[in-house]
Amino acid sequence: MMNEERRAFIKKSGLGVLACMGAASGLIPKFSLEKTVLPAWDEKQVPGKIRWGMLIDTRKCIEGCKECVAQCHHVHNVPDFNNRKDEVKWIWKSSYNKVFPTASQQFQSEKIAGRSYLALCNHCADSPCTRVCPTEATFKRWDGIVAMDYHRCIGCRFCMAACPYGSRSFNWQDPRTAIKDPSLAYPTREQGVVEKCNFCSDRLVKGLLPACVEACPQQVMTFGDLNDPKSEIRGLLENNETMQRKPELGTKPSVFYII
Amino acid sequence: MIFFGLTLVLFASLYAFMQDGMAEKTTQPQAQNLHRQVSVDSTKCIASKEFMRANHMRVLNEWRNSSVREGNRIFVAPNGSKLEKSLNTCLGCHKNNKLFCFNCHMYANVKPKCWNCHISAMETP
Amino acid sequence: MIEKALKGNRNYWIWISFLALVIASGISAYSQQRWFGLTVTGMGRDVSWGLYIAQFTFLVGVAASAVMVVLPYYLHNYKAFGKIVIIGEFLAVSATLMCLLFILADMGRPDRVLNVMLYPSPHSMVFWDVMVLNGYFIINLVSGWTVLGAERKGIPPPRWVKPVIYLSIPWAVSIHTVTAFLYAGLPGRHLWLTAVLAPRFLASAFAAGTSLLILLTIILKKTTGFDAGSEAREKLAVLATYAGVTNFFLIGTEFFTALYSNIPSHMHSLQYLFFGLEGHSNLVPWMWFSLMIGLGSVVVLLIPALRASSKWLPAACAGLVISIWIDKGVGLILGGFVPSPLEDIVEYSPTLIEIAITLGIWAIGALLLTVLLKVAVAVKTQE
Repeated sequence: MMNEERRAFIKKSGLGVLACMGAASGLIPKFSLEKTVLPAWDEKQVPGKIRWGMLIDTRKCIEGCKECVAQCHHVHNVPDFNNRKDEVKWIWKSSYNKVFPTASQQFQSEKIAGRSYLALCNHCADSPCTRVCPTEATFKRWDGIVAMDYHRCIGCRFCMAACPYGSRSFNWQDPRTAIKDPSLAYPTREQGVVEKCNFCSDRLVKGLLPACVEACPQQVMTFGDLNDPKSEIRGLLENNETMQRKPELGTKPSVFYII
Repeated sequence: MIFFGLTLVLFASLYAFMQDGMAEKTTQPQAQNLHRQVSVDSTKCIASKEFMRANHMRVLNEWRNSSVREGNRIFVAPNGSKLEKSLNTCLGCHKNNKLFCFNCHMYANVKPKCWNCHISAMETP
Repeated sequence: MIEKALKGNRNYWIWISFLALVIASGISAYSQQRWFGLTVTGMGRDVSWGLYIAQFTFLVGVAASAVMVVLPYYLHNYKAFGKIVIIGEFLAVSATLMCLLFILADMGRPDRVLNVMLYPSPHSMVFWDVMVLNGYFIINLVSGWTVLGAERKGIPPPRWVKPVIYLSIPWAVSIHTVTAFLYAGLPGRHLWLTAVLAPRFLASAFAAGTSLLILLTIILKKTTGFDAGSEAREKLAVLATYAGVTNFFLIGTEFFTALYSNIPSHMHSLQYLFFGLEGHSNLVPWMWFSLMIGLGSVVVLLIPALRASSKWLPAACAGLVISIWIDKGVGLILGGFVPSPLEDIVEYSPTLIEIAITLGIWAIGALLLTVLLKVAVAVKTQE
């Protein structure tokens, strides 16, 4: 009700100004206006139509390479406090027994058990973190992304207790002091809220692939719509033996691995 | 004082037209087919100064909720032109005056928390 | 009625000043935490809850235990509890206030606390917990205060207060059940992922809460001369005994399921708490001390002669409170985070700031309880 009235008012009052500006810009075509290309997401989104997912081919991942981590953390202004207690991370590399603790461990070949594996938020279809959030500050988006509304988070850290993958980090202190190379295109977070990987929803809206996918020199990661049977990721899932992290918990992760 | 502010804002918004727009880099070919594209022009002010002066906080609040939570990122202006619902849309023009937000807020002793996370023109080189 | 709290002897004011001092140091520590963030606590990425949430869990139990005097007195007309019931209710009020303060102290953005009400999320157990805790606080304060006010005027309490009191009985069970559900529904935290968590919470609450109540009546008798009656204490001691037995039985069943099934994730937390895991054993002495002193206290309470003794009863009650405080207020919460979802073992110890804030909140609770009990005793003894 309020919103409708407000919209109407914006429309009426804005009309004149916009008309003037339109005319002005038409008169001086040399000064071109900023053109942003955005997907047609101005209609109401259909929940569940898209489900973004990622497939990580760990065989191609180079040991010691951290391009994806560096790029993601730079693009999203993830702070680096250089201590474990305050650590904030969106994507990281860890050993086999830590990323897949419930997978077969005994007599596992050194080739597999000795490698590092990428870990990030799984954007679970049945996400425990969104279930426990008391303010819906973390919520399931229409496109399967488990998103954070940093404006609403109260910092109770329930999602951190609920996430079985350790994918969530809390801002124990002001993150701005620990961002060495800030990216101006993306906000930072503030002290007292929880943060995590957003599956690059900020880049998807511009038609770009996630930063980690793009940064990888080996094209280890494939990103796409899991609900589209014709997508590249579905093709790879069809033709490869893949696994998810801790599938026994019923969270239905959207991140898959080829070991 | 008010008139001074008014002219300041007017100049700021006019000045924006004289800047060459920062055209968005061409998108990744493989990512492009993920979406249907429309062109969005985020360079015009969305409403009159008088309206924005009184209601910018409500507009921003609504933009914030509908873009972050519902994914409705595009604001359709009365003349059909489309703008991205983003603080950056506002700053795209208004950053020419680095004190654009701060002057008034300081005067009115209003302390919005936007800049705890969003990067203001004051912090950009 | 509140004016009665403004009249007291020297010891009363010394006690109040002491509490005020502790509260002041807590507030000063809290201002540090607000300014620098929760990094000033011992909590971190791996152990993301600590002393605050642990105290909260313990105190919900203390609050719920008021039902152990309210139910026999109002539902079964058990007259011996006539003088103790108000102490139980006011203990519940103070404990609930402390619970709410501990939640607030643990929050990263306490300025946004009303978001819980603004965006109600029935799928979240925290939402329900905030609802039932606030409700319980109001129910007990209103019913206790109203009944006391009527007593002061020498008239029977108003009729509307009866249903409120009856409501407090299932409500008491609900607060601790919902609190258990905060933990018992999280996948991947195997120490908490157990159906007996809620029954165990209730059993330990009724053991520790009633023990605390017995201790309170003894302290009141010593300091004010107000005696709730030895019959009431003995009856409460019996209740505490069997609640304690049930509690340790339930802990035993946890051990059986985890160790006999031999599922590593189910064993790890218990192994860490009681035997140490991969060389990390900070909590081992605490847990064994808790187990030993708790079992010892239950044995003392089980022997009728010792239970009736004016020396053994308070000792056993104190033992039971300490045991359950360690079990719930230290082991249960910290143990749930070890090992972490990424199989790391990180040990937690609280910082001085954290301890100062914790003591400050306990002092606020003690201050409220002192004031409420001062009024209650003044009314009861017709001062």
